[in-house]
Amino acid sequence: MARILLVEDNEMNRDMLSRRLQRKGHDVTLAVDGREGVAMARAGAYDIILMDMSLPEIDGWAATRLLRGAPETQQVPIIALTAHAMAGDREKALEAGCDDYDTKPIELPRLLAKIDTLLARDA
Amino acid sequence: MTDFATFRGPLTPALAGELRHELRTPVNHIVGYTEMLLEDAAGPEAADRRRALGETLAATREVLALINRALPSTQATLGADVVDALFASLAAPQQRITRTVEELLAAADHDAGDTYAQDLRKILQAAARLVPARAQPAPGAPAAGGAADARPSTGPARILIVDDDEGNRDVLGRRLEREGYGTQSAEDGRRALALLAEQPFDLILLDVMMPELDGYEVLGRLKDSPATRDIPVIVISALDDMASIVRCIERGAEDFLTKPFDPVLLRARINASLEKKRLHDQELEYIRQVGRVIEAATAVEQGTYRAGTLGDMARRDDALGRLARVFDGMAAEVHAREERLRARLRELREDIGIARNSREMPVVLDGGALEVGRRFAERYDIRTTVGKGGMGTVYRAYDRELDEEVAIKTLRPELMTDQGLIERFKSEIRLARRISHRNVVRTHDFGEWRGVYYLTMEYVEGIMVRDLIDVRGPLHAPSALAIATQLADSLAVAHEQGIIHRDIKPQNLLLDADGVLKVMDFGIARLAERASALTETGLVVGTPAYMSPEQLLSEPIDGRSDLYAVGVVLYECLTGRLPFDGGSPVSLIAKVLSQEPEAPIALTPDMPPALSALIVRLLAKRPEDRVQTAAELGGLLRQIA
Repeated sequence: MARILLVEDNEMNRDMLSRRLQRKGHDVTLAVDGREGVAMARAGAYDIILMDMSLPEIDGWAATRLLRGAPETQQVPIIALTAHAMAGDREKALEAGCDDYDTKPIELPRLLAKIDTLLARDA
Repeated sequence: MTDFATFRGPLTPALAGELRHELRTPVNHIVGYTEMLLEDAAGPEAADRRRALGETLAATREVLALINRALPSTQATLGADVVDALFASLAAPQQRITRTVEELLAAADHDAGDTYAQDLRKILQAAARLVPARAQPAPGAPAAGGAADARPSTGPARILIVDDDEGNRDVLGRRLEREGYGTQSAEDGRRALALLAEQPFDLILLDVMMPELDGYEVLGRLKDSPATRDIPVIVISALDDMASIVRCIERGAEDFLTKPFDPVLLRARINASLEKKRLHDQELEYIRQVGRVIEAATAVEQGTYRAGTLGDMARRDDALGRLARVFDGMAAEVHAREERLRARLRELREDIGIARNSREMPVVLDGGALEVGRRFAERYDIRTTVGKGGMGTVYRAYDRELDEEVAIKTLRPELMTDQGLIERFKSEIRLARRISHRNVVRTHDFGEWRGVYYLTMEYVEGIMVRDLIDVRGPLHAPSALAIATQLADSLAVAHEQGIIHRDIKPQNLLLDADGVLKVMDFGIARLAERASALTETGLVVGTPAYMSPEQLLSEPIDGRSDLYAVGVVLYECLTGRLPFDGGSPVSLIAKVLSQEPEAPIALTPDMPPALSALIVRLLAKRPEDRVQTAAELGGLLRQIA
């Protein structure tokens, strides 16, 4: 069981993914935009952050950079999620400080595997 | 955010990325919720559900493949047609998703707290986002390139849902909205009628069992009102007995569905009803447009038509458009022709005005049978003598019985000695009285009073064409054409009734102050011929100058003989001369029979060449070489510019 922060502006994405992750036994907290995501990440203790890239206020890349810049969140693994999925997006995400990258539509087993890998790395 | 429903043009990499995002997001929703529902669908009793959800996932994967293929992740600019093609290709799998999930939803309990139903609705919502409105085909219609859109072309069809049950209204409304229809709900019949009075609807879904006004009553009122009569009504009711179905159909319902209904069936019936209404509306519109053409035709007749009135219709590319174009062209031509005629008439009126002012008036005539100032035949007050001819004298008189002015023509007594001749004359007058035309002087009566035979006729205050030519000299083409056109019109009517004038000449043509021509002496020319024969002194009535060769030869004649005379009158009007001018009647007749006339244009070079040629044709020796009918002559005269 991991404590996951899901930063996602799309309500249906939030609803669907949070429920699916909860079904797999994870504890999911939700943030609806980049600013809230950064604030909540710094305030709480999360094992992993799932970060949508297309976010209002502060987008996923900027939020990731902010989190990497803050000592309390520097080490928290971040997986970038995007439906955009254009060539170069993955590099851009990794460059911003994400640990991994996944595309929507989410293939849950693949995402779960990535989460497990990152959690195992930090364990 | 780009609105891809209306977007046109090439896709830059940024736009392509945005569209990928726009489309992969709902795909993500559908996959996520469907997989969750699949996880829940355990056990043998959920086999159908698993199969349906599996189909949904398969269709969604197809959607994803289409998106990835059309919008590759490489950074390249894509063609303008990519978006339309993509949306068109997505329509079919999208419809499969929608249909499958709707069926699952219809089979589910509609409990508001039911997560299963809620998730199915979310899938439907996501599926609706896959194809924006512009490319979304009509529900039930085949995907791209399929049959015509069933909805009215003016936007999504508007459906009124009338049901007292809130849940029913909600479910139905949301389902129809998802399919791209506009909906509005009414909770009872009264509210429905109020809404219908305010807004247009394309279709009504009507529940039967409602408080106050039930469905039957609403249906009756809808079908009674011309404003709502044509809106198709599908009755949806829990009542499924034959009697209530029959009752609804009898009251004009388009269709009937019993609850719980199959959504696929509902969609099919909505589409069928809307298609029928669309065709009906199209028909009505067509009839309305045809009505405009008829209105325009009336306007042309009344002279109020303005060219281009049917301009919008003329732009249609169907048969109606063709009709409008042809009509508009014809109307413009008629208008131009009428303008020409009006101009001719104006010129003629000026000529008449000048001629009347300069004419030496009045010609004093006496020696007639009647006395000016006396009453004749106990009915007519004789006012003045207006003319004298071979047959007798013409008087202007006041008819006390009819309270109007008339012309009285007395006939020389020596013409009236033969009873057989009198009878024939009477019958010719009866025939001539049948002609009713604005260009013909009406003959009223033939009578005898104390040994005086007389004719009464319409009195026309005017001037004879004879006087006009004598006073004005040669007329300009417009004036001559105005006279000849009216003359041809009057002859067309007479000839149609089998009446030949036989004595068309400027003395028999009267013009009133407005330039309206009145042809006199229809039906009495034969008498004139007889008078000529009877006159020992050789008094010439109906000078041979206007007579056709066949008439001079006493051969059988027809209307074409009158047309010859029109040619002579026109010739004289335009040149001031007769085509054949002989010193004596004998030499004149010889010329008429054997010589070709000089073309009038040789004498009057400024006349339209077509007019000169037409006159020469009218003067042909053989009737078959002339213009054949007066109606045809009228048409030819009108065409001369």
